[in-house]
Amino acid sequence: MSYTGVLDLFASKKNDKTIISSCYYHGALKITRPIYLEEHSPSIYLIHVGGGYVNGDSYFTQIQVDDSAHLLVTTQSSTKVYKTPTEPVRQQTKIKLGFGSVLEYIPDSLIAYEDARFIQETEVEMERDSCFFYSDIITPGWAKDGSFFKYEWIRSKLRIYRDGQLVLFDHLFLEPDHQMNGIMQMEGSTHIGTFILIHEQVNKKFLDKLYSHLIGNFPDVHLGLSGLPDQGGILRLLANHSGIMEAVIAEAQTFSRRVLLNKESVLWRK
Amino acid sequence: MDNELLPLLQLCDSNFPSGAFSHSFGLETYIQEQVIVDKESLKTAISAFVDNQLVFSDGLACRLSCEILESSRGMNELLEIDRLLYVSSLAMETREGNRRIGERMAKLCMELYSSTTLGEYLHFIKNKQGYGHSALVFAFVAHHLQMDKEKVLSAYLFSSVSSLIQNAVRGVPLGQTDGQKLLVEMQAKIHEAKNRIMKLTKEDLGAVSPGLEIAQMRHERLSVRLFMS
Repeated sequence: MSYTGVLDLFASKKNDKTIISSCYYHGALKITRPIYLEEHSPSIYLIHVGGGYVNGDSYFTQIQVDDSAHLLVTTQSSTKVYKTPTEPVRQQTKIKLGFGSVLEYIPDSLIAYEDARFIQETEVEMERDSCFFYSDIITPGWAKDGSFFKYEWIRSKLRIYRDGQLVLFDHLFLEPDHQMNGIMQMEGSTHIGTFILIHEQVNKKFLDKLYSHLIGNFPDVHLGLSGLPDQGGILRLLANHSGIMEAVIAEAQTFSRRVLLNKESVLWRK
Repeated sequence: MDNELLPLLQLCDSNFPSGAFSHSFGLETYIQEQVIVDKESLKTAISAFVDNQLVFSDGLACRLSCEILESSRGMNELLEIDRLLYVSSLAMETREGNRRIGERMAKLCMELYSSTTLGEYLHFIKNKQGYGHSALVFAFVAHHLQMDKEKVLSAYLFSSVSSLIQNAVRGVPLGQTDGQKLLVEMQAKIHEAKNRIMKLTKEDLGAVSPGLEIAQMRHERLSVRLFMS
């Protein structure tokens, strides 16, 4: 199969420092040079060369983080999905984390415009002692008539395997209809955000602290936080602006970095 | 003797000790947050619960499990559905609630309508290779008694809706008559849900409703609770 964009990168540890030891990209995807905002762990910005995803586009990204390496991945800007008259856009991502490695995967929001259909499939394989932070924000773009929710549908599947066992299957299927704004669905909000963290030290006590911290900082945000089956947690939030979503997720990431990784907050320049 | 009707009535009886009595699956959060306050608002909520949670997770899993058993495709595929249900339930209380109800039903049904396949499932649950879910237990019993798949599916949806309504009647609180009226009004919705489930595929399994999930997560932190989820 030929993709609209392919990106394959491998990060490994050399002496004290994580480096990008190999990187291949093709078509509409590429990355910036690694930026060392922290001395030992690089940040990578994913870039889409065109203006956005259009009809029938397909993307494949593979990120591998070798034993003990620590990589941060974000995007340079939001991902835009435009109308897909004949074929939905597909984005496939495979992530593999080695022993003792850390990946913080915090992309900007996905904006789906009028008549867009989008399939996102992400698969993560990790070891028991590797650490994974992940975020996802899905927002509807403005339609010509000024209304929201004109995209056709978005299907997002995230599977996380730990030690070869499936520990999380997050399947979001958003199809705007007359019930979309109602109870149990979006409940009057336009944006949905997710932050997932998996680390050996995530337990109920940690999640309670994280929850108090978030509620203390953002008392009015509609959010839920719960424990995953095995040393993990998931934060889900509904809101009406990307800004507030990003702020809550950044706070959750900062708190988790401080407590679990003993590191300061990361300030990405965009 | 009608070999379908009576066992189904028994499984769906609100006195059937599955433990569902103790779970609101997030509805209690909506009751405390004053979103569900009367019969009409409860009806809207239960309808949304059917359209989302029951169609894409519990109901579809029950249908797929029936089909796996029909075609004798074996335990691995059933355990895959069992695991998908468990790991796609993102709120801890709901995930554990479903697991406990499933395990309890499996044990009980092994006493009542014992079959080799159900015995095998129970064995996997005991060895922590399976989790337990009522959708699969319904499928095992149905297959064992050679019941019609669509009837079983309707009965399964009905029992879920009926227990949710009964719990909400206690939680809101509402009058018993209102609860029963609502159950009648939900008949068309259950029928429609069953037809939708018949058209879905395995690819649709586990699609969640974000608002409901948040309500299920927030339940953990309610200060006064009637229910375990």
